[in-house]
Amino acid sequence: MTTVVEYPLSVAGLYQYHDVIGLLSGGGPGFSGPVSVALGPDGLLHVASRANPNQPEAVRVSRCTVGGDFVGEFCGWGEAPGQFIWVTAIAFGPDGNLYLADENTHRISKFTAEGRFLGCWGEFGAGPGQLNRPSGMAFAPDGTLLVVDSLNDRVQRFTAGGNLLAAWGESGAGPGEFDMPWGVAVDAGGAVYVSDWRNDRVQKFDAGGGFIAEFDGRDGGDGLARPNGLAVDGDGRIYVCDWMNDRVQVMSASGRVIDTLIGHSGTSKWARTFLDANPDIEEKLNAAAQNIELKRRFYRPTAVAVSDDGLVFVADCYRHRVQIYRRA
Amino acid sequence: MTAVASAPAIASQQAATDGPLLAHLLRRAGFGATPAELDSYCQRGYDATVEWLLHPEYRPGLDEDIIERYYIDWKESRNIEGALTETVYRMNGNAGARPLQEKIALFWHGVFATGLAKVLHEKTMLNQIDMFRQYGLGSFRELLAQLARDPAMIFWLDNNFNHKDAINENWGRELLELFSMGVGMDGQANYTEDDVQEAARAFTGWTIDDDNVASIPYGKTPWRFRYDADDHDDGAKTFLGETGNFNGDDVIDIICRQPATARFVSRHIYNFFVADDAPVPAWQNTPPADPEAIALLESEYFRSGYNIRAMLRVLFNADFFKSETARFARVKSPTEVVVGTLHLVGDFKFPRAGVLATALECRYMNQDLLNPPSVEGWHTGKEWIDSGSMVERINFVADELGNPAHSGIRSIVDRLTAGGESLGAADIVDGCLELLGWVILRDDNRAALVAQAAEALEGGAAPEQVILNTLRMIGSTREYQFA
Repeated sequence: MTTVVEYPLSVAGLYQYHDVIGLLSGGGPGFSGPVSVALGPDGLLHVASRANPNQPEAVRVSRCTVGGDFVGEFCGWGEAPGQFIWVTAIAFGPDGNLYLADENTHRISKFTAEGRFLGCWGEFGAGPGQLNRPSGMAFAPDGTLLVVDSLNDRVQRFTAGGNLLAAWGESGAGPGEFDMPWGVAVDAGGAVYVSDWRNDRVQKFDAGGGFIAEFDGRDGGDGLARPNGLAVDGDGRIYVCDWMNDRVQVMSASGRVIDTLIGHSGTSKWARTFLDANPDIEEKLNAAAQNIELKRRFYRPTAVAVSDDGLVFVADCYRHRVQIYRRA
Repeated sequence: MTAVASAPAIASQQAATDGPLLAHLLRRAGFGATPAELDSYCQRGYDATVEWLLHPEYRPGLDEDIIERYYIDWKESRNIEGALTETVYRMNGNAGARPLQEKIALFWHGVFATGLAKVLHEKTMLNQIDMFRQYGLGSFRELLAQLARDPAMIFWLDNNFNHKDAINENWGRELLELFSMGVGMDGQANYTEDDVQEAARAFTGWTIDDDNVASIPYGKTPWRFRYDADDHDDGAKTFLGETGNFNGDDVIDIICRQPATARFVSRHIYNFFVADDAPVPAWQNTPPADPEAIALLESEYFRSGYNIRAMLRVLFNADFFKSETARFARVKSPTEVVVGTLHLVGDFKFPRAGVLATALECRYMNQDLLNPPSVEGWHTGKEWIDSGSMVERINFVADELGNPAHSGIRSIVDRLTAGGESLGAADIVDGCLELLGWVILRDDNRAALVAQAAEALEGGAAPEQVILNTLRMIGSTREYQFA
C-alpha cells in the first residue's frame, strides 16, 4: 500500500520515480551543484559539479554506479591545461573519452573516463572556431562534436580534435537565432536540438543547421522558462530541463508536451548514511513543513541524460543530487 | 615644462559648475559615478537627479536569471564568503541604475547589524539585505515591522527563545536601544527596564519555523517567519506610558510616535549621508554636531509619516548637505571603496569568475559584510583606518585604477586623449581628478602629481602611461579615502 509513496509516477504517468543518488559534499560520495550528467561506456554515471570558488576541490567530475556506489572522482581547479573552474557540460565521445566544457577558460578538455587528462582545445573570441562561454555539448552520430557557443549566440560543430566544421546562429529571437543558448542534444537521425535559454524555447535543426521548428512548451500549460539541459531518447522523445519552472518537460518528436517530471526524491544511500549519523539534523528537517518540498522536488534541474534501457537521469542542481526515473 | 599645449575641453562650463556637486551627491547617495553617468546627471540637473535617486523602483534591477546561471552557488548560498561576494556583486551591479537602493541597504545593514557569526545561514542573511532594499526607503514603521519578522534578526537576537512563560528580552532591548530610540537624548533616558520587559512580552510567539543550519544533505533553505499565537503573551502591557493588550506591531506603532525615534533616525541618517557624528552610545549626552539639520530631519520624519525617502529628499536638497564643507568630509567605508572602485572601472558588471577575491577586499579593509563585529555594527569614520586597512585600500584602488583593461579606465584614457592635442602634465592631473569624480587634492599633493607627470612626459613616456600612473597616484592619496 506504500507503493504510491515510494514509487510515484510523473504527471502523465509515463515515468516512474526510480532512485536518487547524491548529497551535498565537497568531495567523495556526493555532489556540489551538479550541472551535467553523462553515462560512460563503462556504464558508470559521471556527474560534473560546479560548486563554488570557496571550495575549489569540490569542482569535480564524480563517478558512481547507477545504483549509487561511489567509484571515484577527478578534479583540478585552475586554468592550466587539465584544470577547470566553471564546468558547464560533460559528454562522452565515440572514442570513449570524456569531453568537458569550461566557460571560464573557453575551452574543451579531453579526459579518459577515469580522469586522465589527454588534451584540450579552444580559445576565447568571436571568430570562427573561437568560443565565448561554451555551455552544452553533444556528440552527433557521425562522431562530430556540437558545442553551444553561448555568448556568441551560435552552435559550432567540431571534430573531436577541435577542428571547426560548421557553425550557425546569430543573436536574436527569430528562427535560427539565439539568446544565450545553453543545452544541446542530437537524435539518432542527426537532428540537433538547442535550448535557446533566454528565448524560452527549444529549436530543432537539421544536421546542417537548417531551422526545422521551435518548441516553447505552451501546449502543456506554462511555457518553458529558461530551458537548459536536453536529451533525446531512442524513440525520439525530447527531455527538456525547464530550469526556472523546476521541472523536466518530456516532448514528443514534434514538440508536444507528453509528460512532466517534477521530482519525487527519496533519501539517497549517501544521505541515509549521513542522517543516520546525525539524527538531530533529520529531526529538524522533518520538523519544518517547507522541507517536504526540499526533500522531494527538483530545484533548478540543469541537465538530463537517458540510458538505452529507459532510465532518465536528472541533475537536480540545487539539491545536489541526481534523480532517476524509469519509463513506466 | 608642464604644459605643451592648451588643455583639452574636458568639462563644459555647466558641467564644471554642477559636476562637483553631483559627484558629491552620488558619492553619498550611491557609490560614485562614472564620467558618462555624471554627464547625464549634469544634463538632468540636481533636483531631478535627487528625485531619480529616490525612486530606484522605476528602473529595472539586475537580471536574476543571468546571475543564477553563472553563479549557481548563490541561489542557496552556503558560506559566509559567498554571501559577502553576492552582496558586493549586487551593490556594484545596481550602482549605476539603482544606487540609492544599494546605499540604503548598506545603511540599514549597519544600523540593524545582524551577523553570520551567529546566524550561520547565509541565504537568510541575504534575504535580510534584500528586505532593506525593498523597504529601506519607505516607512520606518513598516521597516521595523519587517525587521521584527526577519528570520535572521529573530535568530540573531534570540526571539525564537522568547516565550510567553519564559521571556527572552534580547530583541526587545535592542529594538529600543539600537534600532529605534537609543538609550537617551538631551541627557535623559528614553525608556526604562520595564519598557524593555514589556516590549519583549509583546513579541512572544514571533519566531521562525526552522533553524536548521546544516547544508548536508540537501543544501540550505531560507528560514521563514512564523507567528505562534499559542506562545504569545496576550495579556495587558504598559509600554512607554501606554497600556493595552499589545502585540509586536502595537509596540512598533508606539515607538514610531516617540520624539526620541525621530532623533535617533535623523542622527543615523545624518551620520551616514552627511558627516561623521559621535558614536551611537554617546548620543544620550552628546548633542548632534548640527542641531538645526537634525531638527529639520526630525520635523520631516513626523510630517511625512516616518518616511525615509521624504527625509532623504529634505537632506539632499539642504544647504548643509550641498555645502562645500560637507564634501569629502566622510571617510569612505570599505564597501564604498570596493564597490565604488568596481563601478568606476566597470568590472564585474556581468558575471565572470574571480569575484570572490575582489569582494574579500572588503573584509581585508575591516568591513566583513554580513558579519559585523557586534549588534552595534561597525564603528565608522576614522575608525575604519589602521595601517593594515590603509595599505589594502591603497593597493586595491591603485591596482584597479591603473588597469587599462577595465572598460571604465579605458574610457577615461580615451576621453582625455580624444582631442588629439598634446596633453600637458596639469591637463592630465586635472582631467583625471575631474573624471574620478571631481576629486580635490591638497595643493601640495596636486603639485607633486603634476611634477611627476611632467617628469614622465619629458622623459618620453606616452600620455596613456602617464594618465594611468596619475590615476594610480590619485587613488593612493589621502584625499581619495574620503567621500
